Amino acid sequence: MTGKNENFEALMQQALKGDMRAYAALLRETSRFLRPFLAKRLNSAAEVDDLMQEILISIHKARHTYDGGRPYKPWAYAIARFRLRDHLRAHYADHLRHAVELSGVENGLSESVTNSAMTYESIRKEIEKLPPRQAAILKMMHQEGSTAREVAERIGMKESAVKVAAHRAYRILRNKLERP
Amino acid sequence: MTNIDELVETLARDAAVVRPAPHPFMMSVKWMGAAAIYLVLTLVVTGLRPDLMSKLHDPWFVAEIAALSAIFIATSLSAALLSFPDLHQKRWVAFAPAFLLALFLLIIFFSWNADNPPAPLPPDTYECTTCIVLVALLPAAWIFFSMRKYASTHYRLAGGIALLSALSIGALWLRLHELNNSIAHVIEWHYLPMIGFGILGLWLGRVILKW
Repeated sequence: MTGKNENFEALMQQALKGDMRAYAALLRETSRFLRPFLAKRLNSAAEVDDLMQEILISIHKARHTYDGGRPYKPWAYAIARFRLRDHLRAHYADHLRHAVELSGVENGLSESVTNSAMTYESIRKEIEKLPPRQAAILKMMHQEGSTAREVAERIGMKESAVKVAAHRAYRILRNKLERP
Repeated sequence: MTNIDELVETLARDAAVVRPAPHPFMMSVKWMGAAAIYLVLTLVVTGLRPDLMSKLHDPWFVAEIAALSAIFIATSLSAALLSFPDLHQKRWVAFAPAFLLALFLLIIFFSWNADNPPAPLPPDTYECTTCIVLVALLPAAWIFFSMRKYASTHYRLAGGIALLSALSIGALWLRLHELNNSIAHVIEWHYLPMIGFGILGLWLGRVILKW
């Protein structure tokens, strides 16, 4: 919260009375303090932006459940966590539906990224252009020889999430490398 | 201007005067008052069990009714709190029904032990469950309708608790109406189905309370 603003509770009380400026200030400050919370849990800035919009709309829809008599942040975080859970559930359900065994993905490549003809080193530049987390996962798996489980333990993700991230990376690489 | 800034401007333009929701304790008092009136009216229409005065001298019966009433009160409070995204920052009250359910099960267990020699089983079986559900329908509809106006972030649990609250009205009614001393019957046809329907409430919560 910046010094120029009043506290969140007072801003919300004014917003509930129809004060548009107080409401706009409150929503801006809310998006500011929620951004790091979401960024820590999501892969891309675009995803953070999309979810932030959903959260702000949810806060708008649920604002009648806040009366200004209790701390604002736990209320806003409760809504943010709720929408984040929904988002992740939908995200992983979608990915698992389209998930393919890694061996299948690697076999499907015209030339495997791990065989002698196309090594990690030979496509390092393309891998470095991937989103940082995906690039790090491929580096650990294909340069250092770690398994998905070991990578998951090292970077604090679930094994399934590592596999999904690797799958996405393979897909991007395949599209790039198969392009004539 | 970013998407977020644009959205903030749009939402701010929509900032009409909003009446905050009532305090959840007031909401639950309203629900409990209405449910109490409904219970009394139902008992007036259907009649009290003829041996009620003598049963009130049976400590296990009194304990059972008191525990059932406590479950009704606790689930009403909990359902009201669960209607708010942050449980109105009274998390321990929202989860109080778990402790009361444990206490209730303990009372039922002792009551079952005290039922020696066992009282004869009444002829009714599933009819009791059906009656409890039918009596609970109106309170359940009212609670779900009220809860839908708010914003539950625990919609499954909220649905389960709301249904349990309504079913406890039905169970209370039947214990005060039905001439039956068999605790085995009460467990099998009153309370176990009640818990089963509570689980169904988890699904109902997802269907009705998701926003």
